[in-house]
Amino acid sequence: MRVFLAFFKKELLESARSGKFLILGILFFAFGVMNPAIAKLTPWMMEMLAEELAASGMTVGEVAVDALTSWTQFFKNIPMALIAFVFLYSSSFTKEYESGTLVLMLTRGLARRNVVLAKAAVMELVWSAGYFLCFGVTYGYNAYYWDNSIAVELMPAVMNWWLFGVFTVALLILFSTLSRNSGGVLLGTGGCVLVSYLVSMIPKAAKYLPTALMNSAQLLTGVEKADEYTAAVIITAAASVICIALAVPILDKKQI
Amino acid sequence: MNVLEIHSLEKRFGDKRVLCGLDMIVPEGSVFGFVGRNGAGKTTTMKSVLGLLRPDGGEIFVAGEAVKFGQTPTNRHIGYLPDVPEFYAFMTPREYLQLCGECMNMEEKEIRSRSEELLELVGLGSENHRIKGFSRGMKQRLGVAQALLGSPKLLICDEPTSALDPIGRREILDVLISVRERTTVLFSTHVLSDVESICTDVALLEGGRIAMQGAVSELKRAGRREEFRAEMLVADSAEELLEAFPDAVREGRVTVAFSGGEERIFEVLSFIGANKLPLRKIERAETSLESLFAEVIK
Repeated sequence: MRVFLAFFKKELLESARSGKFLILGILFFAFGVMNPAIAKLTPWMMEMLAEELAASGMTVGEVAVDALTSWTQFFKNIPMALIAFVFLYSSSFTKEYESGTLVLMLTRGLARRNVVLAKAAVMELVWSAGYFLCFGVTYGYNAYYWDNSIAVELMPAVMNWWLFGVFTVALLILFSTLSRNSGGVLLGTGGCVLVSYLVSMIPKAAKYLPTALMNSAQLLTGVEKADEYTAAVIITAAASVICIALAVPILDKKQI
Repeated sequence: MNVLEIHSLEKRFGDKRVLCGLDMIVPEGSVFGFVGRNGAGKTTTMKSVLGLLRPDGGEIFVAGEAVKFGQTPTNRHIGYLPDVPEFYAFMTPREYLQLCGECMNMEEKEIRSRSEELLELVGLGSENHRIKGFSRGMKQRLGVAQALLGSPKLLICDEPTSALDPIGRREILDVLISVRERTTVLFSTHVLSDVESICTDVALLEGGRIAMQGAVSELKRAGRREEFRAEMLVADSAEELLEAFPDAVREGRVTVAFSGGEERIFEVLSFIGANKLPLRKIERAETSLESLFAEVIK
């Protein structure tokens, strides 16, 4: 446990001193502000465009915005934040293979599973912190300008998307142990998400796949019920655990 | 006792056989020079000892325990310094040693006292900057400090001096000499003068096998040939010597090489004295590791 904590502390220190925390902090905060801001600006933008649209024969009626508009923005924007996160952490392992920093730690008696577990813990933690920061900011603005209660089943929707992020990070860790360079890590992680997305085109399979969780915005309007996602939630959670569990023996067998 | 024993180690990369049945024994308390040309397989051997590479055959024992690939508990006996050590650049030397100590499960108090002692030893005692700005020599010395942190039985250094300037190289050699009382040192190199200046034992790796191994002093004694050279001031006297001693060999314009021992030296000297030949110097042939190795590799 002490060894795990030592490496965990090192990972936190690295993220702090390399500026990752700062970048992600700003990014997630900015997205958090942007969601209500876009909602707030929509009527104004529509007004600006109204004249042009009128000229082409379209009339713009009164545009009503509320918390839902802002929450819809939240679910539209969060994938971009996740992609930024994946890019920032895609070289977490590979940089250590390439530079040889890991070799020294391993010869110091650091068990390889601690490397996987400490890095996984830090990444999942940072993802969660960033995600909920973004959520918190949007929630605060929404409560101030409008009324959050209009979004039905907001919490299940938010937790579903968070879980999808957890799963993506677990994929990132799995491919970090499989590939030697960050290109391979990104390709593997992106490829898996893409495959899941493509398979979800088959209607019968769709609700069992992790990518189903990306549609959680549907919960807000009450079109779908939270329990329709139960299967996807269980499967995604299990897949995340399996990815990290697989990463441990894979790194054990890697020639470094 | 032997700190390290390697028996018929084999390793292939693709269809290239790097090691084919390497046997090597490193006795406790030695400073062991592991010599071979670039690409001979020195690093491969060392990485196999550390459990970082999976050998294709053979066995390795560290302090009597067999080395396993992957999870390698034998590494607790070993301190390792790679040829170009890379550290977490965002840390200071003290933070780095702290991390190493915690990874080795050392006592908090011990980590602190040992870190101070070692940083002092390698001349980084007052260095509080992050490793990011360190020169190669400084990194190499920090590398020695981290390798020695756990008071290992065996210190393995992969070409510790090859990337350094003459002053940096001297500093590292001095540090290696100073630790040899407590730790057996195994270091690889292709610089024979480093071996001659600090090693007690040496092994030569050639063609994936150990071509020659033993104590430096014994190898030199065994390899010594009874030879000496006379260097004259002028070419004429060299010719006179050649006429008087037909079995001598001319080496260059004014130098003549003789084979033979003490008796022969006096014989040549008295001839030089009797004929008043102008002599620059006369010297016995030293057996250098270089000439020994050159013979083996030939």
